[in-house]
Amino acid sequence: MTASLTPTEHVILNMGPQHPSTHGVLRLELQLEGEVIVGCRPVIGYLHRGIEKIGEARTYQQFLPYTDRLDYLSSASNNLAFVQATEKLMGVQVPPRAQFLRVVLLELNRIASHLVFFATFANDLAATTAFLYGFRERELIMDLFEMWVGARLTQSSIRIGGVAQDVPAGFAEKAREFCRLLPSRLDEYDRLLTGNRIFRARTEGVGLLPPEEGIGYGCSGPTLRGSGVAFDLRRADPYEVYDRLDFAVVTQAACDCMGRYLVRMGEMRESARIIEQCLDQLPDGEVMAKVGRTIRPPAGEAYGRVESPRGEFGCYLVSDGGPHPARVHLRAPSFFHLCALPRMVQGWKVGDVVAILGSIDIVLGEVDR
Amino acid sequence: MMKDEIQREFGEAVATAEQVGQELRVRVAPGALAGLARFCRDRGCHYPADITAVDAAGELRVVYRLAAPETGQQVVISVPVPRAGGRLPSLCGIYPGAEWPEREVHDLFGVRFDGHPDLRRILLTDDWEGHPLLK
Repeated sequence: MTASLTPTEHVILNMGPQHPSTHGVLRLELQLEGEVIVGCRPVIGYLHRGIEKIGEARTYQQFLPYTDRLDYLSSASNNLAFVQATEKLMGVQVPPRAQFLRVVLLELNRIASHLVFFATFANDLAATTAFLYGFRERELIMDLFEMWVGARLTQSSIRIGGVAQDVPAGFAEKAREFCRLLPSRLDEYDRLLTGNRIFRARTEGVGLLPPEEGIGYGCSGPTLRGSGVAFDLRRADPYEVYDRLDFAVVTQAACDCMGRYLVRMGEMRESARIIEQCLDQLPDGEVMAKVGRTIRPPAGEAYGRVESPRGEFGCYLVSDGGPHPARVHLRAPSFFHLCALPRMVQGWKVGDVVAILGSIDIVLGEVDR
Repeated sequence: MMKDEIQREFGEAVATAEQVGQELRVRVAPGALAGLARFCRDRGCHYPADITAVDAAGELRVVYRLAAPETGQQVVISVPVPRAGGRLPSLCGIYPGAEWPEREVHDLFGVRFDGHPDLRRILLTDDWEGHPLLK
């Protein structure tokens, strides 16, 4: 700090709500002392659509497509949290084939979401080539979704009782081909970006999140696993057939942006292995349980909890026995991660905010609901 | 057993406590909330999974979901509050992650959290009138 005879003040700099690196409509009020951030106030709500209130005036089937649009980069995990809560209230048994298919869908969503993370994180740090590469691979997954479910992004395929569509002929072959291709593409990304000196300088040691603080802020997913905490709902609170599958929970000890990046890169490889196991073990049978056309869960409450690409995505559902939910609350991991952001950017510079915000991989659709 | 410990420690402030699957569901009076949260945190529930509210079955209650990250176990604490003028102690001093969910409950349900460092609306615009998720 150079001594100055001139009186100075903190400068308030608005980042957003329109900004290429805020990953959606987010406003960060940065308080700067010179180049250094001494305060950060996130302003959210620009994408608030009243989805929880809407849920109180829709049937359970009608509400499902709304869930697609929360974490819109991973629609299947949103669908599942809501469906899981509903199935718990109703005591529905999902047929085994449907459970394996759900996991295939969830893990394809995870890879697709992490590819967007890779592409946009790199793009935020001006590594534009990596952006194009990430989206190139993701297009292959969009093709798989379109082939299976009929939609690229908002799938609403996980339904109460199972999945809406069985996989078509040829799908398993195309999916395996993708899983065989992915590791070499990820190797390419590593050669292109991961070891790059500039990328490392902007991410190593930057944006530290100590593990106890992360837990106390309700952080989860890669944001917390990048601080060495091996908390993954697929292991801590298994659902569908995850307890029968062989995969590693990827963690990094560094607590920095690079650590969080490396977790997601590792998770994509694990997801490909999970998908192959599911296709190998896929049993014959129904893809949908016998569920009546009128869904009226008995009065009570339940919480559906899913390891989305961002962390713990939950749906807290209260039923009064009627055709509409009495209350549907969505627990979004990005909401908690943004709450921790001011703490993570304190003392860094504006350029670092871009890296730190990118490294927690938020989606405003689930933050604002 | 956590359920028995809680009932012993908090006595009459605990209206009900039952284990439903992975959840230990507890209903307490507002005065016991802060003590119970600290009690749970000291027994491994370091992770504030969620704080929200429910206006259903004729009452408004604030619902806290506290969990231990290593396991699937959750303690779900329901605290009834009046629909108008409801106040609860803020848990920000125990869980930093309470800051934003408490603001959301304030915004959508009108509950005030005493001791909250920055209690104001979070999703709705600053000049919004009313609390839309109240029935």
